[in-house]
This record gives sequence, C-alpha cells and structure tokens, in this order.
Amino acid sequence: MSRLKLYTAIYVVLFVLATAQVGIEGYFGEEAYWVGLSAIMVVSAVKAVVVAGYYQHLRWEPRSVTAVVLTGLVAALALTFAAAYSIL
Amino acid sequence: MSEDTPADESVDGEHAPVAAADALPVESTEDDGGHGLPPTWTIKRWLVTTNHKDVGILYTVTSLFFLVAAGVLALLFRANLWTSGAGILGGAGYNQAVTAHGLLMVFWFLSPFAFGLANYFVPLQLGADDLAFPRLNALSYWLYLFSGVLFLVSFFQGSTLAGGWTMYMPLNVPAYMPWQGATIAVLALVMFVASVTVSSVNFLVTMHRMRAAGMTLRRMPIFSWTILLTVWMMLFAFAALLAAMVIFSADRIVGTTYLQYEIAGAPANEGAALLWTHLFWFFGHPEVYIVFFPALGVMAETFQTFSGRRLVGRKWFIVAMVLVALQSFLVWMHHMFLTAINLEVKTLFMATTIGISLPFDLMVFSLIYTTIKGKVRFTTPFLFSFGALLLFIIGGITGVFLGAVVLDYEFRGTYWVVAHFHYVMVGGVTALIGGLYYWFPKMTGKMYDETLGKWHFGTYFVGFNLVYFPMFIAWETPRRVFEFPPEHTVWHQVATVGAFVLGASFLIMFYNFYRSLDRGEDASAKPWEYASSAEWTVPSPPPLENFPGVPDYTGGSLSFRSQEADGGTAHEASHASVWPLAVALAGFVALLGLSGLQQGSYAPGVEGAVYAGLTGVGVLALLWTLVEMAREPFHGPGGGEGSAWPFADVGNTKLGMWIFLASDVVLFGAFIGSYVFIRVSNGWRDWHHLIPEAHVAFPGLVNTYLLLTSSFTVVLALVAAERNSRRGLVASLVATFVLGVAFLVNKAIEWEHLFHLHTDAFPTGWELSTNVASSTFYLTTGLHAAHVIVGLVITLYLIARAWNGAYLDDDRPVEFFGLYWHFVDIVWLFLFPLFYIL
Repeated sequence: MSRLKLYTAIYVVLFVLATAQVGIEGYFGEEAYWVGLSAIMVVSAVKAVVVAGYYQHLRWEPRSVTAVVLTGLVAALALTFAAAYSIL
Repeated sequence: MSEDTPADESVDGEHAPVAAADALPVESTEDDGGHGLPPTWTIKRWLVTTNHKDVGILYTVTSLFFLVAAGVLALLFRANLWTSGAGILGGAGYNQAVTAHGLLMVFWFLSPFAFGLANYFVPLQLGADDLAFPRLNALSYWLYLFSGVLFLVSFFQGSTLAGGWTMYMPLNVPAYMPWQGATIAVLALVMFVASVTVSSVNFLVTMHRMRAAGMTLRRMPIFSWTILLTVWMMLFAFAALLAAMVIFSADRIVGTTYLQYEIAGAPANEGAALLWTHLFWFFGHPEVYIVFFPALGVMAETFQTFSGRRLVGRKWFIVAMVLVALQSFLVWMHHMFLTAINLEVKTLFMATTIGISLPFDLMVFSLIYTTIKGKVRFTTPFLFSFGALLLFIIGGITGVFLGAVVLDYEFRGTYWVVAHFHYVMVGGVTALIGGLYYWFPKMTGKMYDETLGKWHFGTYFVGFNLVYFPMFIAWETPRRVFEFPPEHTVWHQVATVGAFVLGASFLIMFYNFYRSLDRGEDASAKPWEYASSAEWTVPSPPPLENFPGVPDYTGGSLSFRSQEADGGTAHEASHASVWPLAVALAGFVALLGLSGLQQGSYAPGVEGAVYAGLTGVGVLALLWTLVEMAREPFHGPGGGEGSAWPFADVGNTKLGMWIFLASDVVLFGAFIGSYVFIRVSNGWRDWHHLIPEAHVAFPGLVNTYLLLTSSFTVVLALVAAERNSRRGLVASLVATFVLGVAFLVNKAIEWEHLFHLHTDAFPTGWELSTNVASSTFYLTTGLHAAHVIVGLVITLYLIARAWNGAYLDDDRPVEFFGLYWHFVDIVWLFLFPLFYIL
C-alpha cells in the first residue's frame, strides 16, 4: 500500500471511530456508565496513537523522540490520577 | 603530572580532559564586532546580539538587578519586623513586599542568574559555537526582561499581588484581590513562563545535538550535567505552572470562576483551593531542584578545581542527580499535608520525600570526600561553594522535619519553613555567587580582588546565619504575618540586623567587580591551575566564535580540527537580529493592555480605551514582528556532527518541535487533570446538573470531523510538497485553513447558543462565569481554540510562501507545522469525549 493510500485509510478509520464514540455512550447507558467511559477513553487513546504514529511519523522516528513525548504524558497522568485519588 | 590533577588524566570514560596548554592562539574579535554585530562598547550591540556569551552577560546583569530590587523589599519588611505590628509598611504594604520579594527572587533572580552562567559556559563546555537557536535564545532573554518590567509596573497599578508567592486560593481571586496590579503580576508570570519554555527547548536541543565529537554524556562536565537535568525539569514543571497561571489569569481577565470559592452568593467550586495547591506544587517542588541543581554544578566544578581532585564517585553523583530529577515530580503533596487530602496519599508522599533525600546524601558525601582526597585552595569561589554546602546540609536536615506528616502538622506555616527554605534556596545562591567569582575572569578578562572577595564571603556568611538561623529559634512565629509573640522580638531584631549585613556584603561584591573591571589584573586563559573544562582552553574573554577550529574529544583530550577540513560548517552568518527584542516588546504592550480587561470588560471612558488600544496595537505588533523574524535570513549553527546521542538522526528544528510539544502535553494534561479533579470533587456523575440540556454532542462531533479532515489535508500538503506539486501544496494548505476556520465558526455558533439560552436551570444563559462546569468547558476548549488560531496564522504564512514556490525543494517547514497541527488534533480527540460525551 502506498503511503497516500495508508494515510487515506487511517483517515477513514479515525472518522468512523469518532462517530462510534458517540454511539458507545448510548449503547452502555447509565447502568454501565463506567464501562462506557472506559471504552470511550480507550478509543480516544487508540486514535491518538494512530495520529501520532502515522500522521506525525513517530513510527519512523528514533524511539528517543517517542520517549520524550511519553515522559510528558506520564507526568500529566501522574498529576491527574494522583490529584484525583488524593480526594477520594 | 600527579594523578590528582584532573586536567592530566587520560580519558577513562568518565571525564573528558582538555589539552594542558594555557591558551590556544585565538584572536579575539570581541571589540571589533564581527558576524554583523556592532562592537561591545555600543548600546546597539546589546540590543541586537544573539551570541550566547552576550546573552549570558545580559542574563547575569539583569538578574543581579532583580536581586537588588527583591533584596531591598526584604530589607523593608525586615525593618518592619523590628517590632511586632503593621509598622512602617502598613498591612497592605507588608503583604505586597513579602509577596513581591518571593516572586522576584524565585523567578526573576535565582534561575535567570544560573542561566546567565549556563548561557555563557554550557556551549563552551560542550564544544559548540553557540546554542542551537541563537535568536530564540535572545528572545528568551528579552521575554524575561520585559516580564520583569511588567511585574515592576504592577506596583504602580493599585497594588501588586499580595497573597504570598505561592498565590494560594481563594485569597488571590478577584473578590479579595481586585487590583489591576495583581492581574499584571499574573500576566508577568505568564510571560516569564514563555521565556522559560523557549529557553528549555533551546538548551535541550543544544545539549543533545551539538556536543563536540567524543563529548559523550558520560564525559560531559558536571556543571553542564546539572543544567541538562535542570532544563528537562523546567520543560515539564513550568508547563504545569503555565496551566495554573492561565486559569488564574482567565478568572481575573475574562471572568471564569474556575478558582472561585463560595463568595457572596457567587457559584462555588469546593475543590478550588486544593486544585491550586496541586497545580502549584506539581511545579513548585521540581522548582526547588531547578533552582538548586545549577548551584550543585558550580559546587562540583569548584570543588574539583580548588581541591585538584576529580569529583569522587563522579558517575554515581550523576546517577543520583538523575534520580532526584525523576523523583522531584513525585513528592509535591508533602506541601499539602495540612490540606484535606487523604491519609494514604500523605503517607505515600512522606515515603517518596524520604526517598528523594537519599541521593542527596550521596552527593553531599561525594563533595566532602573530594575535599578530603584533594588539597584545598581557599579561594573566594571555593569559600562560597563550601559555605553553600554547609548551609545546604542545615537546610536539608531541617527539611526532613517537614517531610514527616506528624511533625509537619506542627511546623507548617511557621518560620521553621521560612528558615529551612532560605537555607536551601539562598544556600544555592551562595554557590552561584561562588560561580560568578569562578568565571568572572573568563567572562571579563580581568581578575577580581581576592582580598575583597574574602571580605565579601565573610560578611555574607555571617549575615546569612544572622538573618536565617534565629528563625529556627523563633519558629513559632506565623509565616507571612507581621505580628509575633513578644518573647520572639529579640530574635527578629537579630534577623533584621543580619539582613542588613547580608545586603551590605553585596556592596563589597559590586565594588570588587567594578574595581576589577576598571583596573584589575588581566586574566590568563586558565587562571585556576586545575580547571579542567573546555572554556579554560580559550582566551579570557573567549572570541566570538569560541574555538580556533572544530573541537574534538575522540583522541582522548580536546583537540581542534580545521574548519575547512570539516566541511566549513562554521556559524558564519550574521549574529545580529533586532526581532527578538521587538517580539518581546510587542508581547509586553499586548499584556499591559490586556491587564485593563477585568472580568470580561475594559473600564469605561478614556482609561479603558487606552488599555483596549494597547491590546490591539500589541497583538498586531506581535504578529508583524513574528512574521518579520520568520522572514529574516538567519543561519544558526549546525548540529548532529559530533556526539548527539540519543537524537543523532533527528534534525535540530524537528527535535525542538517535539520537545515543545512534550511540554504542551503537560500544559493540556494539567488542564484535563484540573477538569478531572474538579469533577471528582463535585461528584463525577452529579456534574450533569451543572450543564444545560442544550449542550449536546453534535457540535463537538462536527468539529471532530473538521479537525480530522484538516489533519488529513496537512498530510496531503506534505505529500504534494514531496511530489513537487506547487498546486497540490497550496490547495491542501488552503483546505486546511478553510477547515480550521470552519472549526472556529462552528465553535462560535455553539458558544453563542449556550451563552444566550434561557431555561429554568440557567435563566441567564450558560456563560463563562455561570458555574465551574462552564468555566472548565470554555477555558479548556478555548485554550485549544487558541492553538487552532495560532496554527491558522502559520498556515496563512505557509500558503503565502508556497504560492511563491517555497517548500518544493525543502518540505521540512510543512512537516514541522504538521507535527503541531496533528498535536492540536490529538488534544481534541480527548476534549471531545470529556466535554461532550461523558
């Protein structure tokens, strides 16, 4: 598959997944709210990885570049989860 | 040569020595200008320079100015504390003096002072011509200077910030601190963070990509190591502070109620105070090490040089520093033991706090053992460094008390904290002053007066302990309060005397430097016998291009290859640019104007019109100067030719963009983290009561489609550029622009609808100030929209250049823009579910 075809296929998949996220909320409803929340966030994470990996070419960059971004991400997640946990 | 002399050791994989020669035959071109720069004795030189050594001197001189400014404030409130009570300053004056002293010292003196030295010496120690982006380096400096000027302006606009340097909430919300000066102070901090971020990116690219051949990370001089770790910490910690300051300034300027507590019937956000402490200390604790690490680097360098002995356990010293840099992000809640956070998390953070003290023990023992193994020469730089070690040991031990939950219940908010904090932070300053003496001959070409230097140290050390040690004795005095029990009066009076002795000691330093510059003895290239890093191999002061050839350590010690043999990659283009100064000045005007916007509106009449006009002029000038800076032909030094692990295969600009994006991850991460925290504190699923029914997923979904499609068109633009298709490139970029504008228009329609809806639950619409849910929604998605707008401005610039045929032979600018635009897309991928679906 040429690069352009690959990028186009990725665009279509991202488009579909974005639409699916709205559907997921309706599917799980209030009873399984936390399952739905988890599923929606996982889909977002998958989409982000695909954009970073292919559109931003991280897949073809040295791993050290990925490590730089992940370091920032880990710091942000540490703040988010530790702060939220501190008031539970 | 004996084995104790570091300059003569063969390379052992742990330290890169330099050639023993006193000075290499390099002609100094400083006074004649060169590289398009006017001579050093002209004012114009200092306004247009981008050379790292000039910028280093600018940082050093400016930071010393802020030391004096903040020091005078300290003398004012110490005089006030001669007796208990409001005294000469009065309540409001005292609070302003204490707050401004802390902010100016921590932000505008401490780190910039260290970065004066870092700017000057890190490229020299690495074997680089300059920093990777010389104009961005100049921009960092001018942003720093104008941010400081903006802060000083705040004193003349009602009142500056007066709620303590930690800016706790709700004390600092507009209801309690309504003055415009307080807003200006907050905006000054935003501008300062911009300076720090630009500087961090620049240093990281430089230090990873521009080391000389053979200058591996293991061999890098210890001062450069401390700066490397410092800038990594700065990159992430200051992004969290930026998030905090943007939220803070939005509450003051556009009228969100993010940090609002329950005030006079206004909407309440129960988690506001705790959220602030999380955001502030997530930045604030790494900041302690950001401030202290460069001082540690100076200590290690001077201990080596003046004991004639390589740092004992050098490798483990570096490992310990890396551990501290990582751990520094895992201890912030020890500043919050008195808040409502749960006991489990307090216990966890007590353990991590004890954990971070362990690597420091190793470093302290390494420094002590280095002096024991070597033969100490008690010069002024060593005395200051050794004094700093003693002070830091006291500061460290007294800090352990505060890291224990139970003891902290007693000590928090008292003068114990003030004393401990100053023994650590001003202990660090002590070493940095030693660094200034150490490198003064190299920076100026003149030796300082050793006798005066020792007098300075003596008065400084006595003054330091007189002002801060009594605070341990009178520790029950409440912090930031001018009233204290009568039995503490004598100790406060001793501290006040000590403060004036400490302040006076700097008069000796300034006189010494003035006299030395005027009639001091000329300094040789290497005035210290056992100095071992590369800056001591070139004349004092070094020539503009630093080295006589291309530095190379691959042979075991420093040697120089000829420029021609190396392919002639010297940094030969003009070093002069007025645009960094112009951009910072435009930013200053814009922020000054913005400070007139209070709670969403400018004051009526002429005053409001002036501030609105300043905002408009500043923003337009900012756009114009940025475009001119982008258009200016300027060739920075290359990179990647020497040691560049682990980024050898990534170009300077691309790496710079990725590092910047990593800091943006933390900025948006902190925003999302804040939203999650506030929602948890309000009850995650009860949140829906704060949101109108009309706030539906559809507009967000449309915007997701628009942004995803715009990401795809950016990909198409890059493909078109690779295929040499000018038409395809322009068409793809125009499509990106149109989609970005459509995103903003859709958002504007959505917001307009929400602002003006009328329901039983929200009879006056769902506005920025309606409740905490509306504040988090508008501010977070608004920050994202601001990123879109910045992207659209860049797109317009790219379209104009692509129209004229640019990017077909070099598509990298399109690729770098794409990295940014896709990141903006990725952020939306998370904002959409969080703010529209869940």
